[in-house]
Amino acid sequence: MPVRNTTARWGSIAQLFHWVIVALIITQFVLASIAADLPLGLAKLATLARHKSVGITILGLAVLRLIWRWANPTPVLPNTLKPYERVLANVTHATLYALLFAMPITGWLMSSARNFPVSWFNLVQLPDLVAPSRPLYEALHTTHAVLAWILIATAVLHVLAALKHHFVLKDDILRRMLPFTSSR
Amino acid sequence: MVRFSRVTWCAGSVLALVLSAAAVADTAAPVHYSVDAARSLLRFSFVQAGAENTGRFRSMKGDITFAPDNLAGSRIDVTIDVASLDTGDEERDTTLKGADLFDVAKYPQARFIATKLVAKGTSRFDAQGKLTIRNVTRDLNVPITFQTKTEQGKTVGYMTGRVTIRRLDFGVGQGEWKSTEWVNDNVTVSFSLRLVPAAT
Repeated sequence: MPVRNTTARWGSIAQLFHWVIVALIITQFVLASIAADLPLGLAKLATLARHKSVGITILGLAVLRLIWRWANPTPVLPNTLKPYERVLANVTHATLYALLFAMPITGWLMSSARNFPVSWFNLVQLPDLVAPSRPLYEALHTTHAVLAWILIATAVLHVLAALKHHFVLKDDILRRMLPFTSSR
Repeated sequence: MVRFSRVTWCAGSVLALVLSAAAVADTAAPVHYSVDAARSLLRFSFVQAGAENTGRFRSMKGDITFAPDNLAGSRIDVTIDVASLDTGDEERDTTLKGADLFDVAKYPQARFIATKLVAKGTSRFDAQGKLTIRNVTRDLNVPITFQTKTEQGKTVGYMTGRVTIRRLDFGVGQGEWKSTEWVNDNVTVSFSLRLVPAAT
C-alpha cells in the first residue's frame, strides 16, 4: 500500500492517522465516563490526568494529520453523489476535523480555568491558557460536553454514510480508508 | 576631700558603664514584629500528575524577634491556620483539608519555630528550627532573607524564604494519598512576609 495518498485512495500514513485517532477518541469517552462516576480522590485525579494526556496527543496528531492532508492529494468523492450529499459529506468531514482541535483545546482551557494545569503524560507541563475562574470553568465544561455530543452525532453520521457506501452503494469509499484492502 | 572625690569617681564610672551598656543594648535590641498577614504571601506548590499546582495559606500569625546584628536574641515563630489554604479550587481545597491530608478538624494549625539564626551573607540567614504539621515535628532549616525599610516613620521588616519539604514526613497523605505516583512527596513552601513592629 502506498505511503502517500492518491486521488483514488488514502495512503498508509493517512489511514494510520485516521484509525489511531478513532481509537484515542473512544479511549477519551471511556476515560471521561469513568472519571465522571468516581468520587473526588486519587483515582479520579489519575483518570483525568490520563484523559488530558490522551487529549493533548489527539491535538498533536490532528496538527500533523492536517499538514499531511495538505501535503498530499485528497481522494475525490465519487461522481455518484448528489450535490446535497457532497455538501453533507464535506460538512461532516470539516466538523470532525474542527472537533479534533476544539475538544482538546476546550479541555485544556477548562483545566487552566480550574487551576489544574495540564501535563502530557507526566513529561511536559503545558502552560495555562487562561487565569483561574470558576464561572469560566463552568462555561467551558458545558462547551466541552456539548462538543462531545456533537462529536458523537457527527461520528455516527460518518459511520452510517461509510456503511451505506459499502453495503448499499457498493462503492470504494469505505475500502479506500481500510488497510489490507485494494480498490476495485 | 579625698574620700569624696573617690566616691564621685566611682559613681561616675558606674554611671558611664550603665550608660554604655544601655547604648549597646539599644543598638542591638532585636525588634519585635508581628506578621502583616494581609500583605504577606505564604505559598506552597506541589506536583500533581506531572503538573505544578500552587496554593496559599491566607491566615497566619507571627511572633518574630529579629535583628541581623543580634541573631542570638532573634527568634521566629509563625503559626499557620491550615484551614485558610486556597488552591483556587473548592473541591481540591476540601480534599486537602480532609482527614487523609491536612485533617484540619484535628490539626487546625501548623507551626514553625526557629530559635537558631545563622548569618549566611548580606541579608541572608539560615533559620534553623522545627516545623510542626499534623502534630508531627521535624527539624527544618529555612534559608531566608531579611531587610528592613522605613515606612511612614516605622521600621518594617521583609522576610522571604523558600524551602522544600516532604509531605509524607508529616503524614500529609494517609490511605491512598500515601502514594507518590500521582502527587509527589516534595512540596515547596515559599513566603514573603511583611513584618510590622508588634504592639508591646
